[in-house]
Amino acid sequence: MSSIIDAYTTSGTERETALPVEELIRQLDDAGIARAVVAPEDREIAVHNRAGNERIARLAADAPGSPGGTGAPGNAGRLIPACTVNPWFGAEGVKELSRAVHAGARMLVLAPALQGFYLGDEIANPLYEAAKEMLLPVYVHTGPHGPAAPTQLALVAMQFPRTRFIMGHCGSTDHAHDMPAALKLKLPNLWFELSLVRPFAIHHWGKIAGDERLIFGTSAPRNLPRHELQHADLSWPIAKNSGTYGRNIEALLAEVRP
Amino acid sequence: MNVFDCHTHWAPCFQNRDGRNPAAWIELIRSAGVSHAVILPFTGLIHDGKVGQDNDDLAAVCAHPAAEGRMIPFCTAQISVPDEGLAEIRRALGTLKMRGIKFHPWLQGLSPGWAAMDDVCDLAEEFDVPILFHDGTPPFSLPAQMALLAKRHPRVQIILGHTGLFEHWREAIAAVNLTPNLWPCLCSPHVAALKEIVRRCDPQRLLWGSDHGFTLDNFYPYRRGLMELIGLDDKQREAMYDVNPRRLLKM
Repeated sequence: MSSIIDAYTTSGTERETALPVEELIRQLDDAGIARAVVAPEDREIAVHNRAGNERIARLAADAPGSPGGTGAPGNAGRLIPACTVNPWFGAEGVKELSRAVHAGARMLVLAPALQGFYLGDEIANPLYEAAKEMLLPVYVHTGPHGPAAPTQLALVAMQFPRTRFIMGHCGSTDHAHDMPAALKLKLPNLWFELSLVRPFAIHHWGKIAGDERLIFGTSAPRNLPRHELQHADLSWPIAKNSGTYGRNIEALLAEVRP
Repeated sequence: MNVFDCHTHWAPCFQNRDGRNPAAWIELIRSAGVSHAVILPFTGLIHDGKVGQDNDDLAAVCAHPAAEGRMIPFCTAQISVPDEGLAEIRRALGTLKMRGIKFHPWLQGLSPGWAAMDDVCDLAEEFDVPILFHDGTPPFSLPAQMALLAKRHPRVQIILGHTGLFEHWREAIAAVNLTPNLWPCLCSPHVAALKEIVRRCDPQRLLWGSDHGFTLDNFYPYRRGLMELIGLDDKQREAMYDVNPRRLLKM
């Protein structure tokens, strides 16, 4: 049985992330991926946080193969729900984060470009503090120029050393130039997620960061899991990097305490 | 059917390994099923003092018998000193017979809004060659910036080298649809974006590129594979890989 985990997917209802959950599961099966974190879609990340968090929690609970689902048994917890909160909701947002984690969410997703804030802006500090208390990993979409650069997230991670951050996309594409410096910091509370990173270049990051800091992800349905995993394996072999392909994200998610 | 890769580079890793002999480079693209490649500079994009040398090297590499006429060289120049930059472009297009112009505006520190860029467009029109821009990144490489330049020079063909990358591809679609002389090169956006670009843009201007050649990593298995995931029909495939680039490059 595969132990591979895809740390970032979406089962959305519109635009380029529209994908029924059954099709997401089929794509994971096709790739040989055991489990996946599933996140709200863009509109839910930007504005409809609670509706999105509730939809994703339901979707994960009801997914084929899950305890409440209708698929084949033996795949309990196939989809792991993430949640999102726009930092501009302030204290109300912190309440929603707590509610969502108590309802099963195991990762907070922030997307500064979608949510209208810059990494380093103190507007998001209450969320980082709340995540720290719950040992909840904070996945931040990086890459957009201005709000979400790798260096900006590294500074936030230094400012909140007890909050666990995952650098989504490693700044792809052009902020990839900043990555060697960010990786060499070896911050103990910062991990690096690989979706949208050119698969054939993953080994460059791996040589600096090591297997223990990288986390595999596909950003399905923006990408096709089978294609991403196949080419990631060629660059950074699954057989030699079990941390990257599951163990690291699994450990982070397992320690969340609502 | 030919397969034109409209976005490749000749980087120092190849120059240092192979000198001006592209035999190994050609063998690699051939093994990927690519028949022709637009070769863009690299050293000249990051080292102003080596622009002329890089143009010389690229022209020589592409004229080498091992290139078999399959490598189409584009030049670059630093136009922050306009007279010198324009003279270099004239030399590259005239004396060296290079076939297009490439800018990477954020690397080179050049804005598409500068008056000197309008002078470059005048030269491109005079020599009847296209200009390829890196795009998808601010502050100097937004699809909208290229679109406004293209609108100021409607007889010059301008290529969006990445069609907006991961964040500006929707803007790129809008830019292409508002600007008849703007060509989207499908190079680097994710699968979902590539599908949308193909669905919404003029099929007669679609190009494909791999970005191969700025490191020794082999970009082709992944990037060629991506194009197999977006559901092109035979007519779209032929237009993008063969008919459109030949029309653009006058081949």
